[in-house]
Amino acid sequence: MILLCGIPSETPMALVRQALDQSGTRYALLHQRKFSSMRISMEILGGQPGGKLQLNGDSYSLGDFTGVFSRLMDYRYLPELKDTPEDSPQRNFCRNLFDTLTRWAEITPARVVNRVAPMGSNFSKPFQAQIIARFGFEVPETLITNDPELVREFRARHGRVIYKSISGVRSIVQTLTDDDMDRLENIRWCPTQFQAFVDGTNVRVHTVGQKVFATAISTEATDYRYAYRQSGDHAELRPVELSDELAEMCVNLAAGLGLAFAGIDLKITPDNHVYCFEVNPSPAFSYYESNTGQPISSAVAEYLAGH
Amino acid sequence: MWLILCSGQDISALWAYHGLQWRGLTVELVTAESLTANVRWVHTVGLKGANTNITLADGRMIDSRLVRGVVNRLTHVPLQHLRDAPDFEYATQEFTALFMSWLKTLRGPIYNGVDAQGLSGAWRHASEWVWLASLAGLKTLPYKQSSDDQFDETTQLRRVVPEGTSTSMAIALGDQVFGPNLPPQTSRACRELARISKTPLLGIELVSDISSHSWAFAGATPMPDLRLGGEPLLDALAANFFQSENGYKL
Repeated sequence: MILLCGIPSETPMALVRQALDQSGTRYALLHQRKFSSMRISMEILGGQPGGKLQLNGDSYSLGDFTGVFSRLMDYRYLPELKDTPEDSPQRNFCRNLFDTLTRWAEITPARVVNRVAPMGSNFSKPFQAQIIARFGFEVPETLITNDPELVREFRARHGRVIYKSISGVRSIVQTLTDDDMDRLENIRWCPTQFQAFVDGTNVRVHTVGQKVFATAISTEATDYRYAYRQSGDHAELRPVELSDELAEMCVNLAAGLGLAFAGIDLKITPDNHVYCFEVNPSPAFSYYESNTGQPISSAVAEYLAGH
Repeated sequence: MWLILCSGQDISALWAYHGLQWRGLTVELVTAESLTANVRWVHTVGLKGANTNITLADGRMIDSRLVRGVVNRLTHVPLQHLRDAPDFEYATQEFTALFMSWLKTLRGPIYNGVDAQGLSGAWRHASEWVWLASLAGLKTLPYKQSSDDQFDETTQLRRVVPEGTSTSMAIALGDQVFGPNLPPQTSRACRELARISKTPLLGIELVSDISSHSWAFAGATPMPDLRLGGEPLLDALAANFFQSENGYKL
């Protein structure tokens, strides 16, 4: 039995659910917005996690779940809690419900996509980059500083330079321009991340257990996620095959980070150097699947089912 | 250079600082508060690895390549001087991410190293500690948690034993355990817990069960009060730093 946790209409969740339906795999759907009709209890006896989940009028033993697909949103932003005070019983119940569920998912022997703890490496891009480098990938030359003079030197050395957030806060990657140099003094109050621009082809690699799906992205934009905004044209996506060696490196990297499912952002240069920028622990894979037909959701469903 | 990284209010760390200095180590005390205001940060990551060079307001320079050992007790990044800035939340996240990456560049024995779950080691939930403690071979009490609990984890710390329960703190450091006199099996399990939790300096809270003459797990922390380990703990810390300096592998 698989447990799906999240908002059913969210596209990645809907695709995985559809794949489970197609394969005839049994699952229970935990619709996060219907939290008020659920109950969960967890216990650890002799080191073995167990408990009960009441859901959709049914009662499940937590030990019956052999796979968990979780795309829970931050409960604080659920519309059902919008007008409730911070200390309301409803909010307290919701918090304890999802906290108990998350704590169980961290220690259950079930296949979990993905556990929370390993997702933490994505909170700091340079922290994650240091781990990435240990798995044989090249990482772009990066400078994080609050000294404007060093940024000027860095730009003089590397030519085209981009800047982006250090943390997991979503930011649009921008090229450092002459106009930006005029306001460089602003970095004195908060160190900022600058990177040498790497020319080449963007490749998003999704790993699901041992399976690998690579998608090449063609665009003139600095940040392909915002291709239309930055270049006026939509990015073009196409499936590509990685060499066995590179595919294995990607699988090893995801496993090393403790991620059953990962979205790995690569750039492959014209002279075949492979740079890795980031590993996304909660990839919105539907964008790639819908553009290329790559069966990523089916692979997730198979992984959850233990195939 | 050996570092002690801590809050300026961390009495336990200040005690360790003076104790390690007395043992002949040239230790630099760097407070969390001194790392954010009027500091020059240079952190690089690239083909040649990762390095950090920090110049503090008092003129001291911390070059990650020169650091040989660290007692790291940083829990958060204090940014009081930016509290009224419009991007305060963003700045907090950016500084924390920078601290994570900087701490990752440090080498030598590190008690404790940065983790994706915390600046000075993984801050695990009570449930995960119970599960790990059992794997390590410690006796554990039944743990229960549910959606019906009248408990607010945003303001309260969930505990394994009821508030007010009398406990003792053992501190595992490498292959030694300091604190209460424990049976060999319990002592071994404490060391194993430190190993599998990847927390080389781990505080393990234990509750004594007089009826069975045994100890049960009551909690764990990567940031115990070091004073509970006493002078023998500082002797061991100093020895580990000196051994590392002389090229011995711990």
